[in-house]
Amino acid sequence: MIEIKHLAKAFVVGKQKKLSDSEKNDVRYGGNLFHSVRDVSFDCAKGQVVGLLGPNGAGKTTTLRMLSTALKPDAGSILIDGHDVIHNPLEVRKRIGFLSADTGLYGRLTAKENIEYFARLHGMNEVAIRARVEELFTLLSMHEFANRRADNMSTGMKQKTAIARAVVHSPELVVLDEPTTGLDIMTTQTVLDFIHSLKEQGTPVIFSTHHLDEVAALCDRVVVINQGISAFNGSLAEFSALATGQDLRQAFMAVLKKDAV
Amino acid sequence: MWQVYLKELLELSRDRKTLMFVIALPIIVFPLLFGIMGLVMANVSRQAEAEEHRYVIVNAELAPEFANALFYHKNFKKVESDLKEPDALKQAIRDNKFDVAIIIPADFSQDPAQLKQHQWQLIYNSSSTLDMIGNYFNELFKTYTKKLQQERLASLGVVTEQVPAVLEPVKVKKLNTAESRENIGEKIGGFIAYLLVPLCLMGASYPAIDIGAGEKERRTLETLLICPISRTAIVLGKFFTVLTTGLITAMITVVSFGGWGYVIGSMMGVDVVAKTMQALGFVDLALILALLIPLTAIFSALLLSLSIYARSFKEAQNYMGPLSMVIFVPLMVGLLPGIELSWSLAMIPVMNVALCIKELVKGTMDYQILSAVVGSTLVIAGAMIAFCVRWFQQEKVLFR
Repeated sequence: MIEIKHLAKAFVVGKQKKLSDSEKNDVRYGGNLFHSVRDVSFDCAKGQVVGLLGPNGAGKTTTLRMLSTALKPDAGSILIDGHDVIHNPLEVRKRIGFLSADTGLYGRLTAKENIEYFARLHGMNEVAIRARVEELFTLLSMHEFANRRADNMSTGMKQKTAIARAVVHSPELVVLDEPTTGLDIMTTQTVLDFIHSLKEQGTPVIFSTHHLDEVAALCDRVVVINQGISAFNGSLAEFSALATGQDLRQAFMAVLKKDAV
Repeated sequence: MWQVYLKELLELSRDRKTLMFVIALPIIVFPLLFGIMGLVMANVSRQAEAEEHRYVIVNAELAPEFANALFYHKNFKKVESDLKEPDALKQAIRDNKFDVAIIIPADFSQDPAQLKQHQWQLIYNSSSTLDMIGNYFNELFKTYTKKLQQERLASLGVVTEQVPAVLEPVKVKKLNTAESRENIGEKIGGFIAYLLVPLCLMGASYPAIDIGAGEKERRTLETLLICPISRTAIVLGKFFTVLTTGLITAMITVVSFGGWGYVIGSMMGVDVVAKTMQALGFVDLALILALLIPLTAIFSALLLSLSIYARSFKEAQNYMGPLSMVIFVPLMVGLLPGIELSWSLAMIPVMNVALCIKELVKGTMDYQILSAVVGSTLVIAGAMIAFCVRWFQQEKVLFR
């Protein structure tokens, strides 16, 4: 169970920075601060998949970074299984798996070494690591490139390795930041299959995306973030009800329009 | 922390560029460079020694002994010329008709009875640092004037045994209290510091960039940050990696120079290395290395802080230039002649270590000051590491 309430985060902007016209129209600039995330609230129950939607620069990545403890929120609270992310980040980090589109692998290490390194950082012992790596390699059919360096891998291989790395410690929550952006169709499918398998296992998944078909296929809940505020938070059915037709795009536009008024 | 350390080392050992900097450069490239430099210099001075200079002498018949000595000198070759005037001779030398001209004035006489000082003129281009012509003439004039002096003194009634007493009434014999080790130490001690300190910096800088800014650029930093390991542990793991590579570079260089020196020394029959090693006891050597550890720790913490701040590899590299200037200046000042280690200088980082290395090689170390140097370097290193750790906690540094 994940509960996110009234999350806010501001960044200091250099005083000399000239704002472009579109930036001047952004209500989030105030003084020398940029209020990237102003008020985001949503929740996610066990086994649910939450899709995070929003225009570029809306604050999706910042939200996910706060959720994954990389950034500290200025205000609001995040509870994961009752653990407070802000006050107890180490406990939360043990329970989270994180993955983004640009895979974040060490190019000079092999697939196996990459995964083992993160397993060790998660405090797993060597016996458990060996068993888990074997299991994941079979699951994702990675045996053929287990000892290949990440630099010499295809995008698909890299993404598989990154997936294995993200879940090597059997996390209780998986956070994905635009996991399919810039990937080809086959690799995208690998990622989607992975989200699907997590869903079947009952592991909650929170992911941001620009692809509405992925939302339609996988998500139980939808959150739309616009200009740092969660403009919509509800079930997929509620979200598609906003559209006049079958197209989720209309629903998305409707949320943004309502927000702008 | 050690997991981070081991992984960074493994990753660096897979990187060709790091291997270049840490291993190939000190083992092969540096000795090769120094070797070529030495060869070129030896070659130039050998050529200069073998060179034959063409000369013109005016009024040679007035000083036949001198003219003869010059004629039979192996580095001089007589050229006939009708020119007599200094300006004309100068122009001829500029036009490369000959290399040097000596004008003996027409009123010159070797006659000892004539007690009169004469002025000769020597015309040549003395801009070369290896002033071979000047040296040769100094020798020739010395012999010739000595002969004239003796003749003149004899004409005044001074007998041969008394000549030195007139020419040099007081002769001073200097007794040097310095051991030969001090002399060698003064010469090579500075050189050793000059070699080791920048090497520690160089060996640390590339890995520092790679595991700080490089990690940001390759977008692996965020994943690392959300692992259940404290940021202090991450940064210390990285810090020790950088420290290790810096020290390894310095060690490898020392060993490689020792090895090459031994090979060259035994080939040419010069045992400089053996002499140096004898002069440097094991304890002193260990102390030098022990001094380098806290110094390299300062470098590593500094480099890592800069590297983590940088957005990209390139940005980090841009910071390295000014930093190395900041480190080179105190190093160079410390090695200027006349600057001695004192209590106040013991507090200036980099400079104090350079001076200590010199003193240790000379064998004149004041161990109280040494402990002050170690102390101050350790304090600064500790402060730099603490800063680096704090720096690494800042979001505005990590997510720029």
